[in-house]
Amino acid sequence: MKRKQRKRRDQTDMAAVNRSVSRAEIYKYIMAFALLLYIVLLLIYSSGSTKSFEEAAGNVEAGIQTDSLVKQNAQALKRHYGLNGADYEGAVLYMAEDSISVEEILMVKVKNDQQVHIIQDAVRDRVNSRKNSLENVSPEQVKLLDKARILVRGRFVFFAVSKNAQEYAELFTESL
Amino acid sequence: MLFSNISFIFIFLPVTVLVYLLASPKKKNTVLLTASLVFYAWGEPIYVVLLLLSAMFNYFCGQDIEDRRDNPVRAKKSLAFAIVINLLILGFFKYYALLMESVNAVSPAEIPYREFALPAGISFYMLRVLSYLIDIYRGEAGAQKRFVSFALYLTMFPTLPAGPVERYAELNVQLEKRMVSPQRFGNGAMLFVCGLAKKVVLADSLGIFQEQITGMQIGTFSMLTAWIGCAAFAFRLYFELSGFADMAAGLGRMFGFEFRRNFNYPYISRSVTEFWKRWNISVASWFHIYVYEPLGGDRTDSFRQMWNLLLLGILTGFWYGARWQFLWWGIYFGVLLSAERFVWGKLLVRLPKAVQHIYAVIVIFIGWAWFFSPDLGLALDYIGVMFGVGASGIADTQTLYFLISHWLLLVFCIVGSSSRGTAVLHSIIEVPQSLQGKKIAACVVYMIIFIVSLAFLVTGTGESGLIIQF
Repeated sequence: MKRKQRKRRDQTDMAAVNRSVSRAEIYKYIMAFALLLYIVLLLIYSSGSTKSFEEAAGNVEAGIQTDSLVKQNAQALKRHYGLNGADYEGAVLYMAEDSISVEEILMVKVKNDQQVHIIQDAVRDRVNSRKNSLENVSPEQVKLLDKARILVRGRFVFFAVSKNAQEYAELFTESL
Repeated sequence: MLFSNISFIFIFLPVTVLVYLLASPKKKNTVLLTASLVFYAWGEPIYVVLLLLSAMFNYFCGQDIEDRRDNPVRAKKSLAFAIVINLLILGFFKYYALLMESVNAVSPAEIPYREFALPAGISFYMLRVLSYLIDIYRGEAGAQKRFVSFALYLTMFPTLPAGPVERYAELNVQLEKRMVSPQRFGNGAMLFVCGLAKKVVLADSLGIFQEQITGMQIGTFSMLTAWIGCAAFAFRLYFELSGFADMAAGLGRMFGFEFRRNFNYPYISRSVTEFWKRWNISVASWFHIYVYEPLGGDRTDSFRQMWNLLLLGILTGFWYGARWQFLWWGIYFGVLLSAERFVWGKLLVRLPKAVQHIYAVIVIFIGWAWFFSPDLGLALDYIGVMFGVGASGIADTQTLYFLISHWLLLVFCIVGSSSRGTAVLHSIIEVPQSLQGKKIAACVVYMIIFIVSLAFLVTGTGESGLIIQF
């Protein structure tokens, strides 16, 4: 009787072990699938491009409304963002002619991943600076700054402040 | 975000330390894990998801391997599956672009591909993951039952960006039980300050100096200038990696962890073999334990050992960077290791120590030319200049300019890369006779080092182009 009870207990233990083995195995396959799904989403939504800066920027520039935005030179990039254009593979800056208007578009292709953070910091500083100077002067412009779009796709960094910021952001994504 | 960052030093670290010290012992791991995820998200928010998914995947893989240990075949299959998935992830984020570039170089039509930013610290992370899985398979450690402790082992912020790579079998006890004391905290803070100074004062200054020389066109600088540029890079890389290692060890000690030393004055080595035992010790040990030994190690015949050493060099080279010149760097050292073991090793030890040291410094520094050159061709051109081929002479006015304008920095580098640097620091602290006096002297000395480092940090970028490729 005792032997039978012991045998039944051993079988229950083995079944329990097998169940716990299956659980870890199942979860590991689920997580492997989740990883694959995550990588696919990364590919779709945040990967960069191997296109040249000129090709990608050209596609974006073709869609910019140049009646309100004017292309700037390297000195303007340095003055307003503290960025030296020669440090990057390519950089283009559009700004509004009117000094009160906050509308701007910046697109940069960096040479290495570290420069992405430098650009992001420069953009944040620029946004904060504009907000501080326009806070009590033009609340509508400050609202535009709050809705600014900044996108990083691989080595491309895109920043847009405009009532058409969303359209410009989509243009940028499609250009890659 | 890296440790050499104002926000890290004055915001993140004090808040984390405060919350950690106030937390109960049971919650300390949770606090540290949360801080680690915030640290990672600060610079790479999108990759935090990758970190967590990977941690969960490997957590269950570890349990699965342990559960199958009584069935070696199934355990091996489970281990193989886990290793393959992890290597695929590493390959995708780190080596995919290199593969596609190489394919496009020979392909008649260009195949477009998507570029990805390299997740920070992925190389160190993967070594930890593989160490964990293999240690469980070998029975050297049990699978971690608590996900928080396991995730902390993988993502602990002091070790995440730049190592060291601690084996799970050696760290698992500290994950559950460790001690924080004022003395250990103070020692950790001093170590952190030293590491910070190495990075922002020495490494960053050397970076500007080195890039001035190595960025020049071949043929426009002399042989001696080339050696100075190479030496500047050698010291830059050493102070950057060992600086981060010291900061990691210091931070670890502040939270009660004890990590082993990762750099043991590698430039005092008298052979390449010795250099590999002093340089990035945790990574070199990892490859030795998990690659070289399973292939037979020193127990096989000479030919097999030479092949294993070459493979070790190649894998280590590729681990350092996803460019073909790292492969050549690895082959270079693999050949040298074999040559020292089977060809001229016995002759080498009979030479005067000074000659051995000069030999080691020369061959090590030549190897770094592969590291800083953008491609293989330029690396070979630069090495040629170091031996007079394509140089504008043995020495010129540029050489004199670089030596005069950077002599103090070079002196600091030579002293700082040997045990004499630490000895000088200790001799200053030991000047007062009383214990209280020594403590005050230590506070003053390290405060001065910290303030000087801050000054350099504020005026420089505080970031690095070397560490991020790992």
